[in-house]
Amino acid sequence: MLEALTAALIEITSGQHLIYLLAGVAMGLAVGIFPGLGGIVGLSILLPFLYGMDPTSALSMLIGLVAVIPTSDTFTSVLMGIPGSSASQATVLDGFPLAKKGEGARALGAAFSASLFGGLIGAVILTFVIVVARDVILLFTSAELFMLTILGLSMVGVLAGGNLAKGLLACGLGLMFGALGGAPATGEFRMTLGNAYLGDGLPLVVIGLAMFAVPEIIDLLRAGGSISRSQTLGQGWLRGLKDMWAYKWLCVRCAGIGCMIGALPGLGGSVVDWIAYGHVKQTSKDKSQFGKGDIRGVLAPESANNAKEGGGLIPTLLFGIPGSGSMAVFIGGMVLIGLEPGPSMVEAQLNLTYVIIWSLALANVVGAGACLFLSKYVAMLTTIRYTYLAPFMIMVICFAAFQAQRDLGDLITLFVVGLLGILLKRFGWPRPAFLIGFVLADQSETELYQAVQFYD
Amino acid sequence: MGTVATPAPAADFSGKRIEWIIPYGTGGGSNRWARFYAPRLQKNIPGQPTLAIKNMPGASSTKGTNFFARRAKTDGLMLLGTSGSTQFPFLLDDRRVKYDYADWEVILATPVGGIVYVNPSLGVKEATRAGMKQLQKAKLKFGSQGATSLDLVPLLAFDILGLTVKPVFGMKGRGPSRLAFERGEVRIDYQTTPAFIKRVTPLVKAGKAIPLMTWGMLDAKGDLVRDPTFPNLPHVGEVYERMHGKKPKGPAWNAWRTFMAAGYPAQKMIFVKKGTPADIVDALRKAAADTINEPGFKEAAAKTLGNYPQAVGAKAEVLKKIATTVSPESKAWVKAWLKRRFNAVP
Repeated sequence: MLEALTAALIEITSGQHLIYLLAGVAMGLAVGIFPGLGGIVGLSILLPFLYGMDPTSALSMLIGLVAVIPTSDTFTSVLMGIPGSSASQATVLDGFPLAKKGEGARALGAAFSASLFGGLIGAVILTFVIVVARDVILLFTSAELFMLTILGLSMVGVLAGGNLAKGLLACGLGLMFGALGGAPATGEFRMTLGNAYLGDGLPLVVIGLAMFAVPEIIDLLRAGGSISRSQTLGQGWLRGLKDMWAYKWLCVRCAGIGCMIGALPGLGGSVVDWIAYGHVKQTSKDKSQFGKGDIRGVLAPESANNAKEGGGLIPTLLFGIPGSGSMAVFIGGMVLIGLEPGPSMVEAQLNLTYVIIWSLALANVVGAGACLFLSKYVAMLTTIRYTYLAPFMIMVICFAAFQAQRDLGDLITLFVVGLLGILLKRFGWPRPAFLIGFVLADQSETELYQAVQFYD
Repeated sequence: MGTVATPAPAADFSGKRIEWIIPYGTGGGSNRWARFYAPRLQKNIPGQPTLAIKNMPGASSTKGTNFFARRAKTDGLMLLGTSGSTQFPFLLDDRRVKYDYADWEVILATPVGGIVYVNPSLGVKEATRAGMKQLQKAKLKFGSQGATSLDLVPLLAFDILGLTVKPVFGMKGRGPSRLAFERGEVRIDYQTTPAFIKRVTPLVKAGKAIPLMTWGMLDAKGDLVRDPTFPNLPHVGEVYERMHGKKPKGPAWNAWRTFMAAGYPAQKMIFVKKGTPADIVDALRKAAADTINEPGFKEAAAKTLGNYPQAVGAKAEVLKKIATTVSPESKAWVKAWLKRRFNAVP
């Protein structure tokens, strides 16, 4: 293992590799900043460019792209309350209130340094775990995976705030919306009214935008003024960095959680940041500020979701089964380059695997660093009068929603579910609970169904 | 020296952009197949147009295919790539299908094989008569996406061979099924050739999987023969013969033959709309023929697609016909079987 590791570290610092890595990071940042464009869509757009490049450079670029996605979409999550991709949803809960208090730069600083830290911790954990990972992952059968989805759903209890009944109802509503479409096992269509668009189920991107972005935009427009209540930008990003260091053990724990859960095939992705958020809320003595701008509510999900990308590499590289949506495109990219995931990645090609893991860490550092410096300037957006910003925001989220399936139905869904989101916000029903239900509906049903069939 | 009539100018695609619709996502085998072919085809099409792949997954590939059926013009600038999962809904009269293969001309057909393998704990080493008798004693579980998908072929094959197999539906593709096999949750599985070569062969080498049989392949006459990539493994028909001493026949076997042919020997095909002028179609077909005859193609293809002769021209036509036609008896039989066995309606 050690020789593979040293060989990998030497290769990473070679000039050509670094250049392509940085190019990938730059592209990933440019694309990732736009809500809805980050993540899978951005990757798919950039994938064709990899064609014809030599394998090592293309791999470096691909890694650079994947690494910065959960980092760059934090901008819109924190500054505008628009979850950039599914990984950033939990960040909105405390990040956006911080921006409203005028502490946008601090929130961004904390988020990016947590991302950086989380990504590095994730890589360290991976380095040791990957050699035994295969056997451990195989121990997780469908029954265990089902219990993990139940764990995710139980986060609703933590996130429900004051009213557990509303939390459970919101979660149930989310589960119902998630059940819309084809049943996972039998393929029958539920509640689709014979409509082809609904037959595929509602896309997560649109639901996220409709639940979080639309109500926020409406409320901000009604309130007038700018996103940031105070006209100054607060203490700035250095304070955010200090916050991260003050809570470094929290970040380590959440990075560990992110890495481990991200490593489970199929599950990772959207649940990790909620579990991290739920963890920090449960383990804090003073819960009063959560949801109103507690910096820990930003640190926890951000360090988790960067570590998750590293963790997601495990099932992707070892089994060829993507750990999350962006990993699915990563596999596509790897195949394009001519690399095949499989057991050989930890045997014959272990050094290549370490190149991937540590390139990811390096790209994380560079990406988060770049975002940190940009954060001060981008945070100034929150001081603009919202009536100038809102039309642009509405256009951006419509564009982002439309990216989901390039279907008029996306926009209709955005409108209808947006109305629902406004109502949920108005009457104090916790929208995170809805989202968790929605996200976990398919997975929990699939795993339960399989577990029952395998073990009866 | 007599006068020679100048031939009509061949189709030229210079400066043009061809859109290749793939009604599947970026992670799957169909996308991989398309991306393997795209740059090679692009080079060989006269004028070297840009050949851009457009992934349009959804509704079991009917969404992208319906799109092509509706939007493709006869100018040769839009192609369609189908897979078995596009053929099957068509053959089974799925309500979402709004396309007809009769409206399309085939440019290329790519065969794919299927290999069945089992867990060594079953004590079966080979698909001999004794081995199969042993296998029949076991209560097996099989991971499947759904009865009306390509999994129809293995499920029906298992029924014909008298195996007790309980399908576990809801697996999101053959990748998760293979994972379930590795976890020991299922003890019988099948994979298509590319996935088998890359992912199962290491398991076989480690003694964790035992390959038993393949679906076989169709030869030029349309007869079932052994799969050329796995010449040491018997095909389903052979295994039946070993077990019962005679060749399989009857409505179940006919239905299996039809759907197997639709799903594997012409699993992936490239189409262009019918009515496209002959010179354009010929140019595309020639480009396909040139691609597969290029030096080094066979070796590169063997690693990604398996050791199967790619079909162009008349052979592709034959395969297309086999893959997209089902006799009314077989169709009715399969529908009844799906309802009876799995309560599934396409």
